[in-house]
Amino acid sequence: MGEWFEQNGALLGLALLDGIASAALIFMVAVGLNLVFGVLRVLNVAHGSFFAIGGYMAASIGLLMTAVGLPPWASFAALLLAAVVTGAILGPLIERFLLRRVYAEESVLQLLVTFALFMILEDLQKIVWGVQPVSFGGPVALMGTVDVPFAGDVIPYNAYQVILLPVVALLTLGGLAWFLRRTLAGRVIVAVTLDREAATAMGIDAGRVFLLTFTFGAVLAALGGALSAPTASLVPGVGASTIVLSFAVVATAGLGQIEGAALTALMIGIGRSVAVTFEPELEVVVPYLIMVAVLLLRPQGLFGVPETRRI
Amino acid sequence: MLELRAVAADIAGAPVLRGVSMHLPPGGLVALIGRNGAGKTTTLRAIMGLLPLRGGQVLLGGEEVTGVPAHHRARLGVGYAPEERRLFGPFSVRQNLLLPAEVLRLPAAETARRLEAVFTFLPELATLADRRAAGLSGGQGKMVALGRALIVGTRAVLLDEPFQGLAPALAQRYADALRGLHAAFPRVALLVTESNPQLLEPLVDTTYVIERGEILTADAATAA
Ligand SMILES: Nc1ncnc2c1ncn2[C@@H]1O[C@H](COP(=O)(O)OP(=O)(O)O)[C@@H](O)[C@H]1O
Ligand SMILES: [Mg+2]
Repeated sequence: MGEWFEQNGALLGLALLDGIASAALIFMVAVGLNLVFGVLRVLNVAHGSFFAIGGYMAASIGLLMTAVGLPPWASFAALLLAAVVTGAILGPLIERFLLRRVYAEESVLQLLVTFALFMILEDLQKIVWGVQPVSFGGPVALMGTVDVPFAGDVIPYNAYQVILLPVVALLTLGGLAWFLRRTLAGRVIVAVTLDREAATAMGIDAGRVFLLTFTFGAVLAALGGALSAPTASLVPGVGASTIVLSFAVVATAGLGQIEGAALTALMIGIGRSVAVTFEPELEVVVPYLIMVAVLLLRPQGLFGVPETRRI
Repeated sequence: MLELRAVAADIAGAPVLRGVSMHLPPGGLVALIGRNGAGKTTTLRAIMGLLPLRGGQVLLGGEEVTGVPAHHRARLGVGYAPEERRLFGPFSVRQNLLLPAEVLRLPAAETARRLEAVFTFLPELATLADRRAAGLSGGQGKMVALGRALIVGTRAVLLDEPFQGLAPALAQRYADALRGLHAAFPRVALLVTESNPQLLEPLVDTTYVIERGEILTADAATAA
C-alpha cells in the first residue's frame, strides 16, 4: 500500500481533483432534475440537453465576444449569459407547449415525449453546431493554475476547475437550500411538490410554479453545461451522458434530497475519475455500480426518507 | 352565499356527480351526508374548482365562479379542509396556517386579525405553532387543517369529514370549536360533509343527503 501510494499518489490526487470538478457540474444538472421531477412529476429525459445546449451557447457567445474584442473577463459573463438565455428560452417553450399537454397522461407516455424531445434537441445541436468538437478555453487560461497540496506533494491544477466550479456548485447548493426553506417562493414550490391540490386550495397557482421551476431547472443545467465548455470539448452525445449520470445521482441520493444530491454527485464524480485514472475500462460502469450498491441496501436512496418524501 | 346548480362531473370517464344542487345561505351551517363513495368529496372539489365540470354552475355571493381557476377561489374567500388533513409536513404549524395569507398577499393587519381569530377558537394551535406539522397527532392535525381553512374562508368554509378518525372526546372538542366559530362569524357559510349524521345533527341548519352523485333530500332542520 505504501509503495503503491509512493508511485501513484500524484495520480490519485489528480483523479480526486478531476472528480471534484466533474461532481460540481453533475450536481448542477442533477439538482435541477430532482427539483423539476418533484414539482411536475415528469422525468425529463431531455434535461441533459439543456446542459449540452448551454455548453454550445457558452462557446459560441464566448468566441463571439472575443472576436468583437471584448476584454477577456467578459468570457465569464459569456458563461452566465449562455445559461440564462438557454434556460429562459427553452424552459418556458417546452413547459408551456409540450409538457403541459401530458401532465394528465401516464408516465410511460410522458417518458416517450421527453425522450422524443431529447432526440429533437440532439439533432438541433448537430444542425446548429455541427458534429466537430467545439471548445472555448477563455476562462481557464485567465484563472491560471494553483498548487494543490496533496499527501506531502504539490499538484498544479487549473484554478477554474478546482476553485471556481466547486464554489459555484456550493453557492447553488446553499442558495437553493436557503431559497426553499426561508423564502415564500421556496415554500410555495415545496408545497406544490408535497400536495398540488392542497396547495391550489391555498391559492397557489400550480401552473405558474410548474413553469418557473422547470425554467429554473433548465437554467441550472445550462449553467452546468456553460461551465463545462472551457474545460471539455462539446461533441454530440454530451447531453445523453449527462442525463444518465444525473439520473444515477438522483436515484442514489433519493428524491427531493438537495444536500444528498451534492454528496452523491461527489461520490459518483470521484468514483468515475478514479476509475478513468486506474481502470479506464470501468469508467462507464462505476456510477451504476455505486447506484446499484446503494439501492440494494437502501431502496429509497442514501438520503431519502420513505415517509417524509421530497424536499 | 354559495350555490350549486345542477353540477355534473365525471372522474375517469364515469359520472360521479349527476346534477347536484344545493344552497348555503350566509352564516348557514349545512351538512352533506352520504355513504362512502356517494360523491361528498367530489362535490367539495367541484366547489373548489379542482376538477372540471361537465355541466352546471357554482355561484358565490350570487356571482358565477364556475370558470374561475381553482387557485383564485381562495382569494374569493372559500376555505377548504380536505378529507385527509393534507398539511405540509416539513412546515411548522404557523407556516401552514400563514401560507395562504402569504400567497394571497393579505395585508399584515388582516393576517394578524385572522390568525388571532383562529387562535381564539382553537387555542391549542397557539401552543403548537412552532411544531412541525409532520409530528402532529391525527386530532391536532385536524385542528390545524380547520384553522388553515378558516384563514382563507372569509365567505365559505368547506370541511370534508372533519370528525372521521377522531376519538369521541376529540370529536366533541372539534364540534364545540365549530359551534364557537359558527357563532363568532355570522356571515361565513359552513359546509360540512359526514358519513355519520349523528355527530352533526345538533349543529346544522340544513342537511343534504347525497347518494350516487345525486341529492336525495334537503331537509331544513328548525334552527336551534
Ligand atoms: N380518482 C378517482 N378515480 C376513479 N374514481 C374515483 C376517483 N375519485 C373518486 N372516484 C369515484 O367517485 C365516487 C365519489 O367519490 P367521493 O366523492 O370521494 O365520495 P365520498 O367522498 O362521498 O366518499 C366514488 O364512486 C369513487 O369511486
Ligand atoms: Mg370523501
